[in-house]
Amino acid sequence: MYWIVAILVGPALFMMCRKPGLFQDSGFDPRLSGGEASVFDETSKAFGHQVSGLNERDEQVHELGDGAIGATFVTAPAPVNPGLGPVFSNVSCISCHHNDGKGSPTAGLVNSSLLLRLSITGTDEFGGTKAVEGFGTQLQDLAVFGVQPEAKIEIGYTEQAFSFPDGETVSLREPTYNLVSPYKALPGNLLISPRMAPPFFGLGLLQNIPEATILSFTDENDRDGDGISGRPNYVYDPVQKKMMLGRFGLKANVATLLTQVAGAYNQDMGVTNYVFPQESSWGQTQLDALHDDPELPDSILNAAVFYIKTLAVPARRNVLDPVARQGENIFTQIQCAACHKPTMQTGIDLTLKTISNQRIHPYTDLLLHDMGDGLADGRPDFQANEREWKTPALWGIGLFEKTNGVPFYLHDGRARTLEEAILWHEGEAENAKQKFVQLPSSERKALIKFLKSL
Amino acid sequence: MNRLSILFFSIAIILNLSCRKNDGNTSTDFEGLKDRALMDFVNVVALPGYEELKTKAATLNSKVTAFDANTTDTNLLAAREAWKGLRATWERCEGFLFGPVEDDEYDPETDTWPVSFNDLDSLMNSSNPLGVSDIEALSQRSLKGYHPMEYILWGKNGAQTAASINARQKQYLTSLSLHLKSQAEKLYDSWAPGGGNYGQYILNAGKGSSLYPKKQDAFTSILEGLLAICEEVGEGKMLEPFDAQDPAIVESPFSGNSVTDFKNNITGAFNAYEGKFNDDGVGLSELVRARNISLDNELKQNFNAAINSFNNITVPYEKAILEQRIQCRQTMDAISELSATLDGKLRTFIMQNIID
Repeated sequence: MYWIVAILVGPALFMMCRKPGLFQDSGFDPRLSGGEASVFDETSKAFGHQVSGLNERDEQVHELGDGAIGATFVTAPAPVNPGLGPVFSNVSCISCHHNDGKGSPTAGLVNSSLLLRLSITGTDEFGGTKAVEGFGTQLQDLAVFGVQPEAKIEIGYTEQAFSFPDGETVSLREPTYNLVSPYKALPGNLLISPRMAPPFFGLGLLQNIPEATILSFTDENDRDGDGISGRPNYVYDPVQKKMMLGRFGLKANVATLLTQVAGAYNQDMGVTNYVFPQESSWGQTQLDALHDDPELPDSILNAAVFYIKTLAVPARRNVLDPVARQGENIFTQIQCAACHKPTMQTGIDLTLKTISNQRIHPYTDLLLHDMGDGLADGRPDFQANEREWKTPALWGIGLFEKTNGVPFYLHDGRARTLEEAILWHEGEAENAKQKFVQLPSSERKALIKFLKSL
Repeated sequence: MNRLSILFFSIAIILNLSCRKNDGNTSTDFEGLKDRALMDFVNVVALPGYEELKTKAATLNSKVTAFDANTTDTNLLAAREAWKGLRATWERCEGFLFGPVEDDEYDPETDTWPVSFNDLDSLMNSSNPLGVSDIEALSQRSLKGYHPMEYILWGKNGAQTAASINARQKQYLTSLSLHLKSQAEKLYDSWAPGGGNYGQYILNAGKGSSLYPKKQDAFTSILEGLLAICEEVGEGKMLEPFDAQDPAIVESPFSGNSVTDFKNNITGAFNAYEGKFNDDGVGLSELVRARNISLDNELKQNFNAAINSFNNITVPYEKAILEQRIQCRQTMDAISELSATLDGKLRTFIMQNIID
């Protein structure tokens, strides 16, 4: 009798103790990069769709957030969208995040998408970057009429030729940044880090990846000996008031979407909000005399966050194309997939079923990796050192040409093609890059074709 | 064959033809229609639309220049009419907001809203030069384009007179009109064969176009353009001031032109669907009609219902959101119904029928 019970209960207990794993690929449609939160659109508007399955109220909040993302701010007081500046990097979210995506690696123009983070050596009380007195941690290179910007940014490029063993050549451009006309003297130990605006879509899914999943990818001491480590960034979150795993920002320097979006309103546009109620120009000569903070209604900030959280991921194209499939195999064989992790499962979110428990293909591990001297910004950010960057997600990368005109890859937009972007990989990715370089031209093209299918 | 036989035979043929179900066309005809619709989108919709924009921007510049030279209320009125004329064309061109107008940011460069009153006043009261290059160099788009012009031409409460517009404001107006003219020229050139030739991407859709590898991509872009403008009007420009019951946040409040703007937006979308701007051409409509006549009829009915519903709003929108709320709501509902048909049935049609 007891043995019958044991036979029946034993396997059940064994199965309960097993950690849930990923199902086989064969059971899923490979086009669905965002699982249920995928959208079939290959046009320039591909990044701007809401996930399916929202209830009527959520749809309204999403639409409200869409309007907020497009809103142009003006100098306060004003009846519509007051609060711009006094110093700022741009006037609206979409001015930098073109078509909910990226933009151009220029600064100081109305359509610029590049900003400079600033700091001096040392850390603040939370282990984060140390602000530059009179400038803060981000340079605002524009200002409302009659106010002096903190400084202007001059960007220069040096082209250098790269030759593949088969004789094919590529020109790589290396940027230099020069700060001119500062409103006050800049310190000698100034550290700067250029950052291009990243795309908005899929961030709700990335926020929903269990921390344990991300930590399972870490290999800080390279125990498996593949030359690739990967380590998390832990950052201070001003909302939760504690150290948390960094997921957003190009150095994984922000923990949550709320903090990311609120920080952008404050630092990029000079719009104060309930998370960051103090003007970015606090303590500076540019500060206005208005007592209107926070300038952004709480509901608008929350709607903007919800909008970004509920943007769908564009589905893949050409998944059955034999050349793209060949490129997919090469992607794994030359170890690109060691950091650009193809597949993972999101956690449970009872309020949003289409981003809950989804099998997704973001092609990132959300970890920091040493990318070598060529890409190093020389500016630590919490636990990210001066050579480390977070692995960017690759989903949607094949549509950047459509959504952005010239795609501009990497953290500072220096790469104009995917090939250039790969050739800038060094550090932990040096081995993978060398394997790419040694590939015959047809296989390099196959790899690019795969990337363009994402 | 006697006459009776000939008559009988003829009637039989006519009856046979008239009783045939309209299967639309042979597949060869449908293929031809797709190419024709793409060709007409470039040559009958986009290029003529942007060419008209260029012409009307030049007209506005000449009227503003005339007003600057001879500051009379008559010339102010002429400048206002030219602004409205240009605005009508622009709003109709917004029925297909994709390509260079978005990629190269002609839309935000010329049609950013709201106006930054404080900065505009500061600019007018400063000694900052006001040449067209100075205007182009301004870091805020809210100081460029249609709406700062509207603010000066009409004034905050619409009571502007020629005498109340000072010399700096006139100089600003002139430079703003030159900036608009230059932007319209560049936008036209970006599509024209002698310029950026964006039209080639559409014409070569499915035939090596890097932006539109499939014809379906090009038609989907047209659909996304239709949806985007319906959403912008129905869920943004109309809904936000309506919900807030706040006339201050209506988009073109100085000229009282908002309802006309909205109507032209939806008319522009209808034109893009039908493949026409001023002249008729072949559009998505013909493709739908060839395979699903009831859907084409439904879409046309939706478009007409939305466009005609604007006629029930008889006061400027900033008043209508307070005085004619039912009419405003009915218009938004009509646009919403149109959007639903576009996003549902038309999208499905494109996916199922335009498979390159």
